[in-house]
Amino acid sequence: MTSLAMQRRRATAGRVLGQFRSSKQGVIGFSVLLVFVVIALAAPLLADVRELNPVYARASGNPQWASPGEFGALGTDHLRRSVWVQFVWGSRVSLFVGLAATILTISIGSVVGIVSGFVGGRPDAFLMRITEWFLVIPFLPLAIVLASILGRNVWNIILVIGVTSWPSTARLLRAQVLTVKQRLFVDRARSLGAGNGHLVARHILPNVSGLILANATLAVPISILTETTLSFLGLGDPSSPSWGKTLEEAFVNGAMVRNAWWYFLPAGLGILIVVLAFTLIGRTLEEIADPRLGRSR
Amino acid sequence: MRRMAVFILFALFGAGIAPAAFAQDAEVVLRIGLTQDWETLNPAAGFAVSEYEIWNVHYATLTDKAADDFAPIGGLAESWVPSNDGLTYTYTLRDGLKWSDGEPLTAEDVAWNVNTSRDQEWDNMLSTVINLDAKVIDDRTVEITSSVPDPKLPNMDIYLVPKHIWEPIATDYDSTVEYDGLDGVGSGPFVISEFTKGQSVVMVANPNYWGWEGETPPIDRVIFQTFANPDAMVAALQQGELDAIHGFPAGSAATLEADPNIEVVAGRQGGFDEIAINGGAVVGQPHPALLDLEVRRAISFAVDKEAVIEDLWFGLAGPLETMSPGADEAKWIPEIPADKAFTYDPDRANQILDDAGYLDTDGDGVREMPDGTNPIVLRHAVNTDGDLAGPIGELFTGWMQAIGIGVELASYDQDALFGVIIEGDYDTFFWGWVPFVDPDPMLSYFTEAELESYNDANWTDPRYEELYLEQKVELDPQRRIDIVHEMLTIFHDAAIYIPMYLGPDLQAYRTDTFEGWVRQPAEVGPVMFSNSSPSYRLLRPVGSEAAGDSNDGTNWVLIGGLVAIVVVGGALAVARRKSTADDRE
Repeated sequence: MTSLAMQRRRATAGRVLGQFRSSKQGVIGFSVLLVFVVIALAAPLLADVRELNPVYARASGNPQWASPGEFGALGTDHLRRSVWVQFVWGSRVSLFVGLAATILTISIGSVVGIVSGFVGGRPDAFLMRITEWFLVIPFLPLAIVLASILGRNVWNIILVIGVTSWPSTARLLRAQVLTVKQRLFVDRARSLGAGNGHLVARHILPNVSGLILANATLAVPISILTETTLSFLGLGDPSSPSWGKTLEEAFVNGAMVRNAWWYFLPAGLGILIVVLAFTLIGRTLEEIADPRLGRSR
Repeated sequence: MRRMAVFILFALFGAGIAPAAFAQDAEVVLRIGLTQDWETLNPAAGFAVSEYEIWNVHYATLTDKAADDFAPIGGLAESWVPSNDGLTYTYTLRDGLKWSDGEPLTAEDVAWNVNTSRDQEWDNMLSTVINLDAKVIDDRTVEITSSVPDPKLPNMDIYLVPKHIWEPIATDYDSTVEYDGLDGVGSGPFVISEFTKGQSVVMVANPNYWGWEGETPPIDRVIFQTFANPDAMVAALQQGELDAIHGFPAGSAATLEADPNIEVVAGRQGGFDEIAINGGAVVGQPHPALLDLEVRRAISFAVDKEAVIEDLWFGLAGPLETMSPGADEAKWIPEIPADKAFTYDPDRANQILDDAGYLDTDGDGVREMPDGTNPIVLRHAVNTDGDLAGPIGELFTGWMQAIGIGVELASYDQDALFGVIIEGDYDTFFWGWVPFVDPDPMLSYFTEAELESYNDANWTDPRYEELYLEQKVELDPQRRIDIVHEMLTIFHDAAIYIPMYLGPDLQAYRTDTFEGWVRQPAEVGPVMFSNSSPSYRLLRPVGSEAAGDSNDGTNWVLIGGLVAIVVVGGALAVARRKSTADDRE
């Protein structure tokens, strides 16, 4: 039984991988993302973290507002810090917050969606009213209020994003669970004496896992953009050099007026490219999980 | 190509028509941009610099302040005589004074304001009126008596609100401060006509203002517009959508100076920025290390003020060693001897901490208390509404890292930060002050009475307290200066404030729209948002000299048309009023 199931799963994984490889957008998205992940992981090797300290930057004689030609690969900012160093270390924070917030979002969304769809009845009605409540509250004001109340550090930002962006995942999964639940094999398993836990773990979950994965991949760019938005509005963690914070600092300290494009362009493009990469991967996974999407294109 | 030609023709045609149509009711409008918002326009309740400016224009005061040196000059009162003991002043009001709604402005208004603001303890007026009592002699004569010798008299610069409007409203402190202050009845050159929070305050000329001396006000409306983004404000000035701006970023100074139609003013009026350290006098829980003077001294030595003046102010700010208590910097700030000054020296700071026993026993780069516990990590509050608080927070983290002290940055918006300060729930934070002309209020903030209120260093000192009471009643000017200098030296030595620099108010105005801007104090001061903001009464549209004394209106129409084309804004003149420009930014 176990080996059979494992064989089947291995086969499924192989098929998904094969389909993914044959998708041009998936491969491009994945390669681009890989580059950024490597940059983020290798940050200590690529850029001296001390360069983020403006006192160190001044002591080492960096010029202020130097353009890329004048100093390093990407110039310096108003506090004489290297923009390249901020970019490299910022990729860490942005990716970390994006992924962590997504895990939280998807966990909340999946649990609510599956329980709601599977159990039905009053619990379903109750959970769906809560979901709708979160759906109708404008997302950004809610995030801003939460961020202000909770205080500004990386974990709270993750919490804010997680708490505010799970409802669409929950609704999507509930719908999928409702269809899966009607299938004959669920009835068969039930008549053979399977309990709810077994049904969810062995039959429902495997059938919605593709959707969860695709949804998660699509939630990452949203999380990254939200972190950027909150940081840009001054609600980010003041001690973490995320890309959003770089954009905020550039904006507040007059980089636009002085045409210091090297200050905001790297972080802006970084966000754009990473978001695009995740979207490409997510789209590809979505098509694999739900072949109708692929055909209709 | 043809389409372009048509467009140009149309534009020319349109331009020819428009001024003619426009000129019939061409208004002269002065537009001023700022980055601060307004909480309330009630002079008994507000405290922001933006609010003081509106009151400076809306309310005339009993005595005014000279633009050059803040000396008391005639305001609503044309003259005053002291009694022999110097405790009582008898003021004579100008003849025929009226509020903007036409009601007579009499000695009764003055006396009611002094006595009511004292009894109800209106925040803005209290430090001036606390020992005063006003008595009406007749409609034009009011007698003001102080129970103790008061070096501030005969200066009487509180904003006088109209008794006939306020008396029913101001029944007690709470009902007074809850009032929105939007009755629109004033005595200054322009009065409030519209207020939209987060956007603008529109003021219209007050023909009853005494300072117009019967002439038609040269400006019809003054519009104060607030900008969330200072760069947008700078751009609006460059494009002529504004006539003047206040509080632009230092980084834009060079760009603005290069524009031949824009004059940049780096106005000094005693304003300064500082990093306050929580002294733990009553409330809150600062890190225990901060209660040790040696630790505070070490922190002061580790802060590189030069770097801030050079990198964030581009050299526009001046050095400062202790707090600046009054608008006249040269008069009130004492010389701190070089051997006592906290000149940037991280090595010395490290030495002080080593000697005092604060060592990094566990080798993590952060020192612990002498008993080896409780690593010294400071909670530095960052005001997200302040332009420089962010960069200063990052620099502070770096400075402290160099001497083995950790920093956790915590962001708050301005309102939230007030709460944190009152609760004493912080270790350090960056803040700015613009003091009044008289040093008394600023000095009073570090007395026991102000704990849990303005005393934002949460610090007191018995000797300082004694001297404070002495200077408050010292009538010999030189003796008073000496006392203040001694107080400020004590304040410096306690290392409870790290004064960063004397910061200028960065302002800029267009030279092609209005003229007559006046700096207060002379030569070094700002042209608006100053202590009594005399510019508003003196401004005239450029080229209106000839029209100034003709009241037939014809010239005005032409000039109005021209101005409408060249500029968007209008002008205005203001009266000199006196008032106080205090405050926290």
